[in-house]
Amino acid sequence: MFKAIVSASTLRDALDSVSVLVDECKIRLNEDELAIRAVDPANVGMVDLALDAAAFESYEADGGVIGVNLSRLEDIAGMANAGDLVHLELDEETRKLHIRIDGLSYTLALIDPDSIRQEPDIPDLDLPATIVLEGNQLDRGIKAADMVSDHIALRVDEDEEAFFIEAEGDTDDVDLELGRDDLIDLAAGPANSLFSLDYLKDMNKAIPGDAEVTVELGEEFPVKLHYEIAEGMGQVTYMLAPRIQSD
Amino acid sequence: MRLDDYIEMEVNERAERRRLAMEKSYAIVDHLEDFRHRFDDAVQGDSLFGSVSPSIFVGRSNYPNVSTGILSPVGHEGDADKFETSASWYDEGVSIGDVFERRTSLLNSNRPVDVRVGARRGDGLNVHDAWDGFLGAQREVAIADRPVSVEIGLDGRPKLDFDVTRDDIATPTGPRARARSADLAENPHVPRPVKKTLEDDDWQAQGAMNYLYRRGFDVYDITRILSAGALGQGRNRRLVPTRWSITAVDDTVGQFLRGTLRDAPSVDAVQVWRNEYLGNAFWVILAPGRWEFELVEMKAPGSIWNPDPAAGMWIASDREGYEGRTGYVEETAGAYYASRLAVLEHLSEVGRQAKCLVLRHVSDDYWGPVGVWQVREAVRHAFEGAHGEAETFGTAVREVADRLPVSTSDLRRKSEMVAGLQTSLADFTNAGGTVNR
Repeated sequence: MFKAIVSASTLRDALDSVSVLVDECKIRLNEDELAIRAVDPANVGMVDLALDAAAFESYEADGGVIGVNLSRLEDIAGMANAGDLVHLELDEETRKLHIRIDGLSYTLALIDPDSIRQEPDIPDLDLPATIVLEGNQLDRGIKAADMVSDHIALRVDEDEEAFFIEAEGDTDDVDLELGRDDLIDLAAGPANSLFSLDYLKDMNKAIPGDAEVTVELGEEFPVKLHYEIAEGMGQVTYMLAPRIQSD
Repeated sequence: MRLDDYIEMEVNERAERRRLAMEKSYAIVDHLEDFRHRFDDAVQGDSLFGSVSPSIFVGRSNYPNVSTGILSPVGHEGDADKFETSASWYDEGVSIGDVFERRTSLLNSNRPVDVRVGARRGDGLNVHDAWDGFLGAQREVAIADRPVSVEIGLDGRPKLDFDVTRDDIATPTGPRARARSADLAENPHVPRPVKKTLEDDDWQAQGAMNYLYRRGFDVYDITRILSAGALGQGRNRRLVPTRWSITAVDDTVGQFLRGTLRDAPSVDAVQVWRNEYLGNAFWVILAPGRWEFELVEMKAPGSIWNPDPAAGMWIASDREGYEGRTGYVEETAGAYYASRLAVLEHLSEVGRQAKCLVLRHVSDDYWGPVGVWQVREAVRHAFEGAHGEAETFGTAVREVADRLPVSTSDLRRKSEMVAGLQTSLADFTNAGGTVNR
């Protein structure tokens, strides 16, 4: 059983955070939250989303799992204006999701959850550095790095107490330094890892500019990016495996 | 590291070869002169001549109104098949000069045509249905598995210019003449699988290409067949310029092979393979992990694409991750798809996937572009014989870089894989594999 009403903007923020990595996913309709965990086909990038029942206007669920085609669900959500409410209701008999938006109704055929890629094991990581910054700052560093290279280094300098976003291209270099005063918070530790911009750009696309992003970082370890949606009633975590330097 | 055991640089031999290569370039003019004599012997009064044709050529300029032609080695009918670009050129050990000689011996009897509807436009006739006349004869030549006897009527004399472009994909082209007609002088032999793909006009071209590959046809054959508009769903069939056809087949078959390796186990050690052919040295480094591929090309000053002897080394690269790429490569053109195919063929043979870096060093011995077959065959044959092993990808790159005209740090800037190999999240879970450092 699943029946919920949610604002279109909350639904879109939630779907966007997942659709930048995968085309289809399993949605867990738990009693107290809607949860999605998905990994890209190469097992390099992962997303973990939880949308609390409180983020919905109304929410009733009993722990079922459905499989959805994300781009179709996003298309439908795109038919709503930001303030519109989206009504979702699962028909258990036909395995279809009924969606109503201001008089428009859409029946979405679901995908057998067993046919969707297994949800990943989350690596249990104890990352030594934590940086908290604004989505806009991260966006600025990623945009600049993308002008010169296909990869990006995220690094914390413990002595200078600063976070660096760096890129080395064929001929040009980019370097964004964010000191303690520029950041919302910094717990310095030994951290320096290289990441593919293809993935980081996609993740960055979903992160709102005014969101507070918590970055957990280590030495040649996956990075974790956390941010909140739906006024704190939804949490998104990305995890991205590094490119390991050959020395 | 056992790299040193099997790699020797024959310095004197290289200098000698370069000297010969310089002389050879003037020999082209002689080849063209020879062609004129042979042609005069072969042609009868009204410009009608009989020959044996191993292949076809579809131009790409002014697409979709291209020039399409039948290639015939006028005066060399006895061994016509050696004039067709194929894997056997490598086995034969042809030189750059040989390639140019063979190409200057091939007359391209061509006609202008719209790729979509053959000679007659506007009457709804698809190239797929055009079995008569010039296009029909051309199609038969393309699908036959051996050279076909043809009678070609020309409109005037051949033009004896020689088209040396910087095109790295298609083999260079020789003399051209406008054709009035072409007729088959025999019933060509067409292999059964080719008939099957030809007759099934509901079969998408990619599937048909892969089918032919799995049935043992090499990419050279498939390229010729695709080029003649003999593959694909009926309404989509059209002539495909030779250059595009070569890359389309390399890419399609490569994607097919990559797909078969998606869940294959990884190679278990860092391997270095090497080959050198026609002034091009290839190093292939395979490392454990999920599929990742990159081609880095270093073109020496004085080589064909970097003609200024005072210019620096020209470096280009393109890459793809586990899921492949969606767009055409930006810097390395057909060499990317040809080398990727060669590597995938090897991996498919051993049933493993790998992270694969191909380094191509084009020396100034490479004075004329012979076509991308040279890349494909050199990398295919790199996997013969001994290979080196290294502890890590990093040491392999450093060892190889010592023998390259660029520093490791230049390489790191240009090569995504040298900068860092993509790990997967499974490398960091307790259950997952170990991290390849």
